[in-house]
Amino acid sequence: MRFLLRHLSLSYARRNLAKTILTLLGVVVGVTTFSSIKTAQDALVVGIGSTVDRVAGKAQLQVTMEGGVPEALQERLRNLPGIRATSPVIEQIVIPEKGELGSLMVIGVDLLGDREMRDYGFEGDDADLDDPLLFLAQPDSALFTREFAKRAGLTTGTSLAVKVPSGVRKVTARGLMSPKGFAQAFGGNLMVVDVYAAQELFGRGRRFDRIDVRLQDGVTVAQGTEMLQKTLGPAYRVETPARRGEQMERLVANFTAGFNVSSAFALSIGIFLIFNAFNVSVNRRRRDIGTLRALGATPRQVQVLFLAEALIIGLLGGALGCLTGTAFSQALLVSMGQSTEMVYGISGSGVVHLTPAIVLQSMLLGLIASLIGAWGPALSASRISPTEAFAKGSFQAKVQRRVGPRIAAGVAFVAGAVALALSSVVKGNALVLSVLLLGGIGLVLLIGPLSRAILVALGPLLTRFFPSAGPLSSDSLLGNPRRSSGTIMAMALSLTFVLGLGGYMGSTRLTIVRWMDDILTCDLFVRASANFSRPDFLYPGAVKGEILALPGVRTVESYRAIRPQFRGRQILVGSVEMDTLMQRVRYSFAQGDLKSMKEGLLNKEMCAVTENFHDRFGLGVGDKVPLQTPGGVVQFPIVAVLHDYSSDQGAVFLDRKVFLKHWQDDRVDIYDVSVTPGTDPGKVRDAIRAKLSGRYPALISTQREFKDEIGKAIDAFYAVMRITVLLALGVAFLGIVTSLLISVAERTREIGILKALGALPGQIARSVVLEALVLALVGLMLALPAGNLFASFMEGPVAKAFTGWAMPHHYPWEVLGELIVALPLVSFLAAGIPARQAAGVKVTEAIEYE
Amino acid sequence: MHKGAKTFRPCKEEPKVLQLSDVVKSYELKSTVTALAGITLSIAAGEMVAIMGPSGSGKSTLLNLMGGLDVPSSGSVLVAGTDLARQSEKERSLFRRAHVSYIFQAYHLMPTLRVRQNVALPLRLAGVAAKEAEARVERVLAEVGLENRADHLPDELSGGERQRVAIARALVTDAPLLLADEPTGNLDSARGKEILALLRSIHGRRGTTIVMVTHDSEAASACDRLIRLRDGQVEDDGAAPGGDR
Ligand SMILES: Nc1ncnc2c1ncn2[C@@H]1O[C@H](COP(=O)(O)OP(=O)(O)OP(=O)(O)O)[C@@H](O)[C@H]1O
Ligand SMILES: [Mg+2]
Repeated sequence: MRFLLRHLSLSYARRNLAKTILTLLGVVVGVTTFSSIKTAQDALVVGIGSTVDRVAGKAQLQVTMEGGVPEALQERLRNLPGIRATSPVIEQIVIPEKGELGSLMVIGVDLLGDREMRDYGFEGDDADLDDPLLFLAQPDSALFTREFAKRAGLTTGTSLAVKVPSGVRKVTARGLMSPKGFAQAFGGNLMVVDVYAAQELFGRGRRFDRIDVRLQDGVTVAQGTEMLQKTLGPAYRVETPARRGEQMERLVANFTAGFNVSSAFALSIGIFLIFNAFNVSVNRRRRDIGTLRALGATPRQVQVLFLAEALIIGLLGGALGCLTGTAFSQALLVSMGQSTEMVYGISGSGVVHLTPAIVLQSMLLGLIASLIGAWGPALSASRISPTEAFAKGSFQAKVQRRVGPRIAAGVAFVAGAVALALSSVVKGNALVLSVLLLGGIGLVLLIGPLSRAILVALGPLLTRFFPSAGPLSSDSLLGNPRRSSGTIMAMALSLTFVLGLGGYMGSTRLTIVRWMDDILTCDLFVRASANFSRPDFLYPGAVKGEILALPGVRTVESYRAIRPQFRGRQILVGSVEMDTLMQRVRYSFAQGDLKSMKEGLLNKEMCAVTENFHDRFGLGVGDKVPLQTPGGVVQFPIVAVLHDYSSDQGAVFLDRKVFLKHWQDDRVDIYDVSVTPGTDPGKVRDAIRAKLSGRYPALISTQREFKDEIGKAIDAFYAVMRITVLLALGVAFLGIVTSLLISVAERTREIGILKALGALPGQIARSVVLEALVLALVGLMLALPAGNLFASFMEGPVAKAFTGWAMPHHYPWEVLGELIVALPLVSFLAAGIPARQAAGVKVTEAIEYE
Repeated sequence: MHKGAKTFRPCKEEPKVLQLSDVVKSYELKSTVTALAGITLSIAAGEMVAIMGPSGSGKSTLLNLMGGLDVPSSGSVLVAGTDLARQSEKERSLFRRAHVSYIFQAYHLMPTLRVRQNVALPLRLAGVAAKEAEARVERVLAEVGLENRADHLPDELSGGERQRVAIARALVTDAPLLLADEPTGNLDSARGKEILALLRSIHGRRGTTIVMVTHDSEAASACDRLIRLRDGQVEDDGAAPGGDR
């Protein structure tokens, strides 16, 4: 076998270097996608977890409360038995004015008391913080990590401009931390300030985000948790840092799960490229194989030879894919991090590591992908009869298989996938995987015969419109059905992916935009913070009166959202003055109606829940939602279930009066302002701005601006998916190039004869380009229905499983339009080199025969 | 036409279809291989010429140059007065369409096309309308005696039949010059004789100029004139022995 590999395979590889590289590229592309996505995903999740861990330092427990813990709590905690140290913390992500430095995580701590909790790495001569009192005396004081300071060009005493809610503020470096423990959190993009300065900087009022607790030696975490929970009551949450990290990881897991689909697709498309390449390699070497067989090689030996080649290619491709994957993953991570920061207000440190586990998985995937891809061709190679060595002239294998059973099996698989998607036998990731697997197999089975049928039907048309190049292309496509259907398969799968994902994104966007048109009907939105999910600053409730008093203002509603844990998920509890809101908003009901909702919310302390909340927790009209309030658990009966997209985890809505009564917290996220008819919202905006200026941060957007902003947030969410769509187009490109290069190489002799018979180089080149266009067209034709199915699947069962939102189907016309423009371009470009090669075939060399 | 001429010289009054002067063809490989080392000859319209010589003597190379499939390293190749050596590949292709057709030893039919489509191929490449092409294909298929095999695939035909399809394909464009590289090389002697007879009758009926490379002295004797090559040079040029059929 070694001998055969060295002498046959290696010499083939050397003689057909371009083709070998293309085969390798198939593996590399698949593995690269997988490993880059996986690496970035892991880094994101681990980064989030480890940031929580590192920032926690020696703290064993963290005490939090919805809306922040009041300052007085620290005093109470300190005097409890079993507590060694407590330290208040405020956490906030800010962006330096020099954006290229990346987001900075700001930690506000009580520096005097905090050394019990965290190690600041102040050793060395210049390292120490000269004077803690000086640090505290100046409110603009901050500590940075050495690493960040170096990148930002900061030294002790110089200052850095950062964007905070109230505008751009300068902070001055008073000391530098060595990169160990705590200072490694968030990739070193860390800024430590005094916790009271942070209250002022981020408008937290007299509250902290949490209080870190270190227990006395001998007190277990379980004992500590129990004791604290008991003394503090249900309004407070007492958790270990690890658990907080887990919750954050779970929140972004939803987001990262989408990428698994992308990497699965990239891999399967890689498999097709490999399949194609091996198929051709077998065809090209029929005579060699025949000779081998004539010389005594067994069919098994032949098969093993090809599988051994696949093994080598798989290993090589896996290794290369790992390396290129790591290169891409950093960029991917940054992009993912921006999305999670925008959508969830969470971000981890920005460093990717190629872990041994990922290396192993990637290599394994490369191997498996190439073995799967090479299996069929290897088998058909082993079936080549020794007489082929002596056959002259017939250089093509005839494929004649019965297509009936194949079509039947394909239809059965697709039907199975659809049935599975519609039923609820399996759920979550298992559902996605099994449906995609079944559907994928069905497609693969169907694409061959279908593409052949389409090609046969297209033949006369091609001849009609391109009298000289048409028959050549259609003949070449039909002449080797395996090669063309392999390419069409790769094309159709990647286009299915593009259309499906595009359709899904489009539907989501459209649904949310329509919903916003129903819900966001007021004229102006007054916010203190640009971040929706993790506001940096909340207004006092009294601001409402000030705004209402301005001329031209008709109504003001105070919207407040908190995000408590509910049965293991972070749901949203929103409250607003329902009486005025319900006059201007159009609701869409899944259960209940407007009249009973009005009555229930306003007069009976009932709540409305979203449809995904209802699906997720099985609570509907007639049930009660138990919510944790500072005064204990309160049961809110459900009066209506709404189609609403406020949160992908589920939301509960209350009237503001009810919220105020139970939560005793009058702060406000957003004031919704409606102006009196005929008044210019711009004027009112100026008036509000003037009123609030100097006292509160104020971001005032018109309805249009506000919607655009949310639209941008949605786009950010999908930005990374879009990259994978581009990747699919890239794979389509690669597929066409491979297929055509192979086609040209296989037909060198035919092309030579054609030229001898009077074909012009231009004619030959045109026929190759036409071939590429036809491949793309047939791929698209097959992808249209398949992509539609896939999109429906994503919008229906998948969206439901991950967000609880049921999306009405919306055909991805925009994506289709883009494809109709992009595909001919892509195939035209892809055909460039093969066409030139074909046109340059030398007649004299081509017609030589062995 | 030139029956019985003992020392054959092309008749001055006949227009020259082919005029090669001082043609050299060499390949620059690790060492320089000289396939043709200065060949000068001319062939008049309506001649039927055989080229013989040991393997490697340059026969195929010469034939390829005559048809403009390749260009000489030096010297000139005039076909119907046009110097192919000075033309671009595209010009040569266009020229070939109108003036030259080929027959190969291994037939070189398109395995996926039916006989009818194979024969029509040169016409379709030249942009002849389907209707007209169809009629001409019928005619040449009748000429080679294959009208009842028009819808077969090449694989379903015998070697002799395949070569007749190739001949039909060569005839369909009515090119005045037909080049054949060992047309009987793959056939047994009976089939070979049939092919030769067919070529001979075409030559007689259409007056096509035929240049044929062959190893077979019987095939050579079917021609009017015999050119012998050795080491890339003309060793002998004269009337074919027994050219009196
Ligand atoms: N593409 C090429 N590259 C290098 N050398 C070549 C090439 N084509 C032909 N030759 C050389 O030119 C010489 C003449 O070759 P040619 O094919 O014309 O011989 P031939 O007389 O047709 O032989 P045969 O009877 O075997 O077909 C040979 O020595 C051959 O090796
Ligand atoms: Mg030869």
